[in-house]
Amino acid sequence: MTKSTRFGRRAALAGSAAAIGALAATGGRAQARPINFTAWSAAVDQVKSHISAFEKATGNKVNYENFPWAQYRTSVVTRLVGNAPMDVLWVSDAWLPEFAEAGWLAPIDDIPELMKYNADAAAYCTNSMVYKAKQYGLSYYGDHMSFVYNTELLQKAGISAPPTTWDEVVQQSLRIKQGGHAEYPLLLALAIDTWLVEFMSAMVFSNGGRFTDDRGDAVMADAARGAVSTAQWLRDAIHTHKIVSPGAVETTEINALRAIGAGQAAFAIVPTYRLRALNDPSQASAAGKIRPALMPRGPRATASTTCGWIRFFGMTPGAKADRARRAPAVQFMEFFGGKDNTGSYTLQKLLLTDLGLPFCTLPLQNDADVKSFWEKWAGGSAVISQQAASAQKKDVVAPWFGEWNETSNQAWQSVFLARATPEAATTAMARKWAELKKG
Amino acid sequence: MIAPRLRRRLGRGLLLGFFSVLLVAYVAGPVAWLVSSSLQTDAQITAIPPNWLPPEPTLANFEAIFGAKSEVVTYETRRQGDPATTRFLPSGAENLLPSLANSFSVGLWVALLNLVLSVTAAYAIAVIPFRGRRGALYAILVTRVIPDIALIVPLFLLVRALGLVNTQTALVTTYLAVTIPFTIFILISYFESIPADLYRAARVDGCSHVAALRHVYLPLALPAVIASLMFAFLTSWNEFIFALILTQNVAAQTLPIVISGFVMDFTTSFSFVNAAGVIAIVPPVVLAMLFERYIVSGLTAGAVKG
Amino acid sequence: MQMFRGLSYDERNAWLLVAPVFAVLVAVALYPIAYSFYTSLYDIVLTRPWRRPFVGTGNYERILADPQFWIAVQRTTVYTLVTVAATTILALGVALLLNEAFPGRRLLSALILLPWATPSIVNGLMWKWIYDPSYGLLNALLLKLGMIERYTVWLGDPAKTLFMIANAAVWKQMPLAAILMLVTMKAIPADLYRAARVDGANAFQRFIHVTLPALKPGFMLVLVYETMISIRHFDLFLIMTQGGPGDASYTLSWQIYVETFRSLKFGLGAALSYILAMATFLLSWMFIRMLGRGMEK
Repeated sequence: MTKSTRFGRRAALAGSAAAIGALAATGGRAQARPINFTAWSAAVDQVKSHISAFEKATGNKVNYENFPWAQYRTSVVTRLVGNAPMDVLWVSDAWLPEFAEAGWLAPIDDIPELMKYNADAAAYCTNSMVYKAKQYGLSYYGDHMSFVYNTELLQKAGISAPPTTWDEVVQQSLRIKQGGHAEYPLLLALAIDTWLVEFMSAMVFSNGGRFTDDRGDAVMADAARGAVSTAQWLRDAIHTHKIVSPGAVETTEINALRAIGAGQAAFAIVPTYRLRALNDPSQASAAGKIRPALMPRGPRATASTTCGWIRFFGMTPGAKADRARRAPAVQFMEFFGGKDNTGSYTLQKLLLTDLGLPFCTLPLQNDADVKSFWEKWAGGSAVISQQAASAQKKDVVAPWFGEWNETSNQAWQSVFLARATPEAATTAMARKWAELKKG
Repeated sequence: MIAPRLRRRLGRGLLLGFFSVLLVAYVAGPVAWLVSSSLQTDAQITAIPPNWLPPEPTLANFEAIFGAKSEVVTYETRRQGDPATTRFLPSGAENLLPSLANSFSVGLWVALLNLVLSVTAAYAIAVIPFRGRRGALYAILVTRVIPDIALIVPLFLLVRALGLVNTQTALVTTYLAVTIPFTIFILISYFESIPADLYRAARVDGCSHVAALRHVYLPLALPAVIASLMFAFLTSWNEFIFALILTQNVAAQTLPIVISGFVMDFTTSFSFVNAAGVIAIVPPVVLAMLFERYIVSGLTAGAVKG
Repeated sequence: MQMFRGLSYDERNAWLLVAPVFAVLVAVALYPIAYSFYTSLYDIVLTRPWRRPFVGTGNYERILADPQFWIAVQRTTVYTLVTVAATTILALGVALLLNEAFPGRRLLSALILLPWATPSIVNGLMWKWIYDPSYGLLNALLLKLGMIERYTVWLGDPAKTLFMIANAAVWKQMPLAAILMLVTMKAIPADLYRAARVDGANAFQRFIHVTLPALKPGFMLVLVYETMISIRHFDLFLIMTQGGPGDASYTLSWQIYVETFRSLKFGLGAALSYILAMATFLLSWMFIRMLGRGMEK
């Protein structure tokens, strides 16, 4: 990143002024500087407990700051633009190209202590952290969209097995609706939310479609290969069959969770980690009745697929370049994104057993505690493991993802509101993609 | 046969009563629901038809807030999804009361400093005839026309350069800049309603400006001053985006930030959030109740003889 | 001190009294304002840090040519009009009510502070919950009263979205506006009312000819403040609708946020902010000129 403009220079000046000031304050002594770790407010206690263990094991201090998820990107972008001293931060896979291009993340390809963990990680997880042939972090959470159903509602309607295709979803939903068991049997969170792109990707992939091809060009408007049939299916579901509520356009992922937990939906798409909460009696009245099934297929798809995503630990270039900060930061990333001093993936396991967050580490899936966890909260891990193996990462992750996502969200909503045809909406998405890719 | 005067008074009473009931329902209704839902569990608040009153009131949410201790969290002491208990509350609950203290402290400072700074400046602009009065007022107001979103990045840069990130000082100074323009505006508007004769009489008597302000204007403008203080305190209390950017942990984080952390945290309990909301409302309402008499039933027009 | 030589006692005192305020504002507000104006003159995209050309009015031109901008203008105009009008009218009503002496008035005036004391995040979530199409209170209440036949979508219906958000905003802002009106009402000399009564005016005529004209500064305060904040409202949009459904609640304020923090186009976001700022200033200036008295006129 060149600092040829006054903008960059001013920011650098402010940053270096602060740095000089800080140095002067410490009297120039080489001090154990705390590691600055920034995350969103999820799994706070789990992270804090792991930090205590880290501090005890290595003698480093950690400065842990967290922000609400919905405002995380705003806060972190402000801090990164403002050259705040950050060392390690949580990053969402969708932001990787943007952050890498902006010079906010450092590649870890030349840090063997961290790269060695790739051997244990699922392929799509590692690929999600690679941009332009460089890897930018270690993952601690990898998940996919699950299709879930309410066993009680299906039983009441006399349905013996969950649907395997999207056509069957319509048929079974109509049966449940006509039987008076649920007014809108399929619950989808279609609000403009950070999750909308994952929901839509899951549906598009499961229909055998894609947003972009292997070269990164837009195919979403292609009737044979793209998202058109999915958009059509959704429009019909809301307006023709009426199996999805028109209020779904304001239902965010969290609100959908409430409704599913209240037993109002027969079918839904949720991130797999939500199964823990949905089957918890203190959080949901439908506890014990929500079970995962393989994502239904569209007519063009040969096997069940879904969308997967990860979150990972990234390191800032400032931390990597600074000799005093680099070693503790690497230690931190290994302890949290890899194995800790006891030689086990403690944090990943903790996140799963406490909160239901799945992970990327393949060997850990054979752990007895992990298996019994899924038994207890999802009725078994077979479906989940199978689905995880077929998860594809989002194919719209690019340096212009942020801007494209806005257009895409608007386009999807115009389909849900029946204000635009599926063809028109997908064409708008494709056009924006092409325009941004060229620019 | 009701006497006309009595009929008029009955009519007036009925009218007032009717509108009062409407008003109470409008302002207090949603808050009553907030309180009611804070005494229920999540499963109960998603029931259809809704539970207007809590079926089995539970203080679990409030216990969690007040009983939460801030201690070093280790594997043993961490809060986890415990299936055996009947409540599932977000971690970070222990930050609520400290953030309440932060909000309170920041609000009080902003209100106090507003009192000192705005009253004097408003007096000057409204009362003293000097060149550039109008320009001064517009200059002050103009600082508030830029949307906050545009200001957060440079503000962060500035605060960071001064080494004040995550301090109450940064918040107080920022909120002063946010509230002063409007408190000045309120006070100017009120000072102007005070007849100029009083000012001239005071000056003829040899009062300095400060004395005139203290002995003549302030007492007469008390309702407006109280309103300004309330405005300053409540604006600081409610402010979100600046607090989000300028603070990073519970050392200086204010209430709205901590509450939003609960909501967006994936282990969310809406009844808990509502309980936190109830707690967020209490201190300002108590404070305001202490001062409202100066506004509503306070100095009446009789003091200002035309 | 040199410059003070030519000033009168009055002027010197005036500037001394005003100086601290200017000091605070210059310290805190000047740099951010200048910075964001400066940024608006450059084509800054954070994901392209190596190229930041000076474009002068380029960003502004791009914005004015963007249809999404004009949609945002329309949304903002509707929202601001509705919010400001509703707040002002309600506030006037409440102030009139509270200006009368009757038992329970103290309690009432304390109660109206409840909405004002609610942080906007709690406010937004609460109303979002009340509007919920599945288990919201609004649906339950209206169903019970027989005003609707079945549960309806409120926030998610593009035709209603702005009004539902406006309702949440008005609910919260009305108390301050009412208090400002009330404070102004208290300053109306009782003599004016007495004179009007002597002239034979009834309650309604007294309202039109005594109260309303004397309330002009109150109206000005409320209109200026409400316009300033409603036109820039952001918190509620962030919590309740995120610009949706579709672009039903895509206001200018939201567009600024999207361009700056989602598309990471800082230059464009800053330019948008300045356009919004100019609109805000013009409206405020207009109200002050129309309704102000004394030095403002």
